[in-house]
Amino acid sequence: MLKYIFKRLLLFLPTLLIISLVTFWLGKIAPGDPLESLPGIGGMDNGLQVTSGDYDRAYKQYGLDKPLFYFSFTALAQPDTMHRIPGRYRQESLSKLVDQYGNWELIQNYSHSLEDLCAAIEALPAKADKDTKIDIRRSANQLLEMHKDIRIESKINSLSEKIVTGGDTLINNQLTPYIRRLSANYTAIKQNPKHLRRYIPVIYWHGADNQYHHWVSSFLKGNFGLSYRSGQPVIDRIRTPIYWTLIINLISITLVYLLSVPLGVFSAVKKDSLSDKIITTILFILYSLPTFWIGTMLLVFFTNPEYGMNWFEGAGLGNLPSSAPFWDRFWETARHLILPVFCVTYSALAFMSRQVRGGMIEVLNQDYIRTARAKGLSTNTVVWKHSFRNALFPLITIFARIFPAAIAGSIIIEQIFNIPGMGRELLTSISSKDWPVLYTIVMLVAVLTMFGNLIADMLFAFVDPRVKF
Amino acid sequence: MFFGTKRRNETINKLIEEQTDQSYWSLVGKRFRKNRMAVWSLRVLYVLIFIAIFGDFLANEKPIYCKIDNETYFPVCKQYLVALGLSKWEARFVNTNWEDQKYQSVIYPFVPYSAKTLDLENNNKAPFSKQEVKSRHFTHWLGTDDLGRDVLAGLISGVRIALMVGIISMGVATIIGIFLGGIAGFFGDDQLSSSLLRLLLNVLGIPLAIFWGFGVRSYTLLEKGSAWQWIWSIFIVLLFMILLNYITSILERFFPPKKMYKVPVDIIIMRLTEVLTSIPGLIILLAILPILDETSIVDVMIIIGLIGWTGIARFVRSELLRIRNLDYIEAARSMGFRPLRIFLRHAIPNALTPVLITIAFGVAGAILTEAFLSFLGIGIPTEEVSWGRMLFNARNNITHWWLAIFPGIAIFCTITIFNLLGQGLTEALNPRTSN
Repeated sequence: MLKYIFKRLLLFLPTLLIISLVTFWLGKIAPGDPLESLPGIGGMDNGLQVTSGDYDRAYKQYGLDKPLFYFSFTALAQPDTMHRIPGRYRQESLSKLVDQYGNWELIQNYSHSLEDLCAAIEALPAKADKDTKIDIRRSANQLLEMHKDIRIESKINSLSEKIVTGGDTLINNQLTPYIRRLSANYTAIKQNPKHLRRYIPVIYWHGADNQYHHWVSSFLKGNFGLSYRSGQPVIDRIRTPIYWTLIINLISITLVYLLSVPLGVFSAVKKDSLSDKIITTILFILYSLPTFWIGTMLLVFFTNPEYGMNWFEGAGLGNLPSSAPFWDRFWETARHLILPVFCVTYSALAFMSRQVRGGMIEVLNQDYIRTARAKGLSTNTVVWKHSFRNALFPLITIFARIFPAAIAGSIIIEQIFNIPGMGRELLTSISSKDWPVLYTIVMLVAVLTMFGNLIADMLFAFVDPRVKF
Repeated sequence: MFFGTKRRNETINKLIEEQTDQSYWSLVGKRFRKNRMAVWSLRVLYVLIFIAIFGDFLANEKPIYCKIDNETYFPVCKQYLVALGLSKWEARFVNTNWEDQKYQSVIYPFVPYSAKTLDLENNNKAPFSKQEVKSRHFTHWLGTDDLGRDVLAGLISGVRIALMVGIISMGVATIIGIFLGGIAGFFGDDQLSSSLLRLLLNVLGIPLAIFWGFGVRSYTLLEKGSAWQWIWSIFIVLLFMILLNYITSILERFFPPKKMYKVPVDIIIMRLTEVLTSIPGLIILLAILPILDETSIVDVMIIIGLIGWTGIARFVRSELLRIRNLDYIEAARSMGFRPLRIFLRHAIPNALTPVLITIAFGVAGAILTEAFLSFLGIGIPTEEVSWGRMLFNARNNITHWWLAIFPGIAIFCTITIFNLLGQGLTEALNPRTSN
């Protein structure tokens, strides 16, 4: 047994490795700059952040200036140091320039001259015309994130027009050499393309100092990283959500097991009777009813004074201050939890009861049950001792899937009823590109599923002595 | 007398049936027909398919037939030609709204509104409430939303999307599932062997093919990515792999391999399904969808299919594990057919029947998933009118019950139909479980 468990645990490793690689990769190819949602970094003006020191600092703090993985597999034309350039949009525009022309040295020159121009604009004395300064600064910053020939051309032209013929001699004197160099460098890129280099594949080796390595190694140590959204540790972000999701799901799972077993067994024993038909039909209907619809309908009809049926509390968890007496807060929360718990429970209940019924019917048709009946055992003994034990298997299989499914299943309920649980945390972290939080949730769910499967296999052996490892 | 003849005819028919046809499919059909609920679901499904195909003739702001200034038009039919680029709208239709035309005679569809038609005079109307319409025919029978869009028209256009979700996503899932599950089950861990040379070249070749097919062309694909560019990329990858294997065959002829290595395809594919099933599909979907910058509804369908094949694969695998030991496969082998031919022509077709059950349940799941995603407002463009999207809009004004009730009932009915069909198929195909 121990040997078997050890073997299974060893098999977890490759699966987890692949899951971690896939989630990491998904997070990296998702569009958009996640740091934008960090308070103090993301501004209204996208163009301005690139040069601001705050952004560069955050970029370093989150380790984004490191290579992504142990190695990278790209074209010879692409440089191996692209990751050092701060700003996702800048990296992408440079990389797309390389994709078009393949001459990194010249593109690098162009990029440097553009940076110099930006710095020179920043360093303009205060006497310079303010409006023109803001205007050209915006243009230059937009240029940093451009990669299409037509647009770059027209941008450079309009920039040099503004600088050279803008009328402000100060700006003219200070910036003309920079814009000349920029323009010359860009023409050089277009005149000397190296297309062959784009077709030769290379592997760049980056070593262990990369983002994936840092993430996985600190994850294994229990440090889940910092949230992109708020800058606080991920573990602090997900502590409360886990608490609420656990509460809702523990209540509902208990209810499901308490109700589905008697329901399923009853309707299996009384197969084809009227009560069985009624129960089966109701369960089938419940099984097909989409949870999110029922949730919305309950919220519409039973919490709204307009229909005169506002028997339950609305969305949220109530807003009693934490100084209120414990029992007041308890009842307030409990009243708010009735509808969400009902929604999570009913669909699982329908599914489970159908499984129990199916399993029981199959067992009740077996010969040994007939024998048991024939030798005069009471119905209770036959049903609960001889049949139920053998009908337990579907219950066990489902038990393995309960916890991960609970997190996935409560996404919608938490969203509808506005409960700060794991599902809602998942949704908000997806919409705000908070990848560290998302990685953590996905990995936790994966680990839970695999442990659930392991426990289920062990329970099989416990229930059925024929199963051996 | 009357009842007597009926019973006699029935008995005669039954006897004839039993005598004539005892093939597998006729037995399955007979068992399926016994299940009244499943038969009825099938009939409702036919109706839904009809609505999906002829939805434009049932709910449309354009008339089916109309006569203006002594000229006859068939605007609904013409709409298809215009969409295909074969024809253009006359100036009068471009300049004037459909409702403001001066018709001499006109035949409107059953619902004279499209799903996206805005009727701003009648917004937020409940069913059977007083509405400012030209005639009874123009009543919004199931009410309107805050922009005056007709709920019934939305439901009709939603049928098409729901069925398309089912067909496309399960189509993708079925193809992948049958292929991978079939390979895993038929070849197992010890049937497929290859020389070290071929193995190495293939392992090295796949990244290279992807590099030349997609990596090098990433700029073209992303900037002016038409469907043809993507197909061309896939073609490059396939061409490269075929060439590589052809060259390997030639090399092997000159340097015959000394030792063959077994490729454990079963373990590899089963690990893959384990990875996919370790994370709830919904979470994978939610993590994948933001990656695509602009998602069309077809993208969402394909992605639902791409992560939903594991169930089918397992089904096919277990079926093929049984089939590959049957005598007729042995016979085919002894006749010297190549493994690939036996796999495709002899083994796979016999494993397909149980897949039907998974597909029926899978369609229900896919429709539910799409509705769920639209309800969350993730991944599906906002202008698309699907049932889930209608529910999503209903959340904004929850006092308007008709906006939430009807799409919900539509989703519920469709899912129920497919669940009942799945159940009927299960009972028809595995007679043992029903008794």
